[in-house]
Amino acid sequence: MTGNESGRHPDEGLVRAALDGDEGAFRDLMERYKRRAYGVALGIVGDPDEAQDVLQDAFVKAYYKLSDFRFGSNFYTWFYRLLVNQAIDRWRKASRSPTVSFDDAWVSGETAEPGARVYPKTPEELAGNRELAEGLSRAIAALPEYHRTVILLREVEGLAYEEIATILDCSVGTVMSRLHYARAKLREALKGFREG
Amino acid sequence: MECREARQKIHDLIDGRLPPRVAAEVRDHLGVCGPCGAEEAELRRAGDMLRLWSAARVEAREPELSALWTRVRAGIEERREPWYASYLRRWFWVPAAAVLVVLALLFYPSDGLEVPFRPKSFDVTVESIESESATVALVDKGEELPRVIWIIENGKT
Repeated sequence: MTGNESGRHPDEGLVRAALDGDEGAFRDLMERYKRRAYGVALGIVGDPDEAQDVLQDAFVKAYYKLSDFRFGSNFYTWFYRLLVNQAIDRWRKASRSPTVSFDDAWVSGETAEPGARVYPKTPEELAGNRELAEGLSRAIAALPEYHRTVILLREVEGLAYEEIATILDCSVGTVMSRLHYARAKLREALKGFREG
Repeated sequence: MECREARQKIHDLIDGRLPPRVAAEVRDHLGVCGPCGAEEAELRRAGDMLRLWSAARVEAREPELSALWTRVRAGIEERREPWYASYLRRWFWVPAAAVLVVLALLFYPSDGLEVPFRPKSFDVTVESIESESATVALVDKGEELPRVIWIIENGKT
C-alpha cells in the first residue's frame, strides 16, 4: 500500500510505481483485480480457458498501455474497458465457430427433484444444483453480448451506471435499457424455483 | 402510487438511484401490492443468483488464477522489444538524413552549369519483332550507348 491508497483513487500509487518500472507494483494491481476481472471475462466469453486468455491479454495490454491511463480516473474503469473489449472480440470470434460448447465442469450436483427446488445461498450450493446452474448458464449465454456485459458489471461488480457507460462507451440510457432487458430475461429463467 | 409507475421505478429502487422520498413511496406500494412486490423480489433474486453463479465459476478456477502472474509475465516478455529497438527508433533519422545528403550531392549542380547526374534524352530507333507469346523490341540509342533489348512476354517486361 502506498500513501495514496486511502484516497479516492486508491490505485494511483501503484500505477505511478509501475510506470516508474516497478514490476511488483503492476503485479499488485493485477492481484487486486484478477478475480473480479476473471468473473467478468468468464461471464462474457463463457469458456474458462478463453476467459483466462482474455484476462492474460488484457493485463499484458494494460502493462504496455499504462502510460495512457489518466490520473484522476479509476484504474479499474480504465482496465475494464480493455478487458471488456478484448472479451467481446473473443466471444464474437468464438461464437462464429461451430465448436462453442456449454461449460458445465463447475457444476457438481445432479438434477434436483421438483419438490426440492430451492434457491441456493452459497456458490457451493449453486454448483450442487445442476438444473438451476445450467438454467442460469443458458439464460446468460442467450443474452446479446452487450446486455450480458452490462448485467455482469452492474450485478456482479456493482459498478454505477455512469461507470458502465464509460467502459462501454455508450449513454447511461443505453445501460439502463440493456440492464432492464437482461434482468427480465434472467427473471424468466428463474421462474419455477421457489425461495428456500 | 399506481402499479405502472411503481414498476417503472423498481430497477432504480434496486440500484439505489431514487431520491429517499420517492424510494419510500415505491416501497410503500410494493408492500401492499402482491404482483409488484413479487416482481421486485424476483428481479433482486436474479441479481443474487448471478453473483452466486459468477462466484462459483471463479472459485472453480482458483488454481489457474493463482498462476496468472506467470502467464502475464510471459506475455509481457513476449511482447517486449529487443534492447536496441528504442535506439533504432531514436537514431533512425541519422541514416535517413545521410541518404538525403547523398541524393542532394548527386543532383545538385556542381559548378552552377551542369547537373552531374541528369538523365539525357535520346533519339532512338526501335525495331520490333513479334512472336505468338512475346514481343521483342531492339532499342538503338546511337553510337555512344549500348543497344537495349526489351522482351515483353505475357504482358510483363
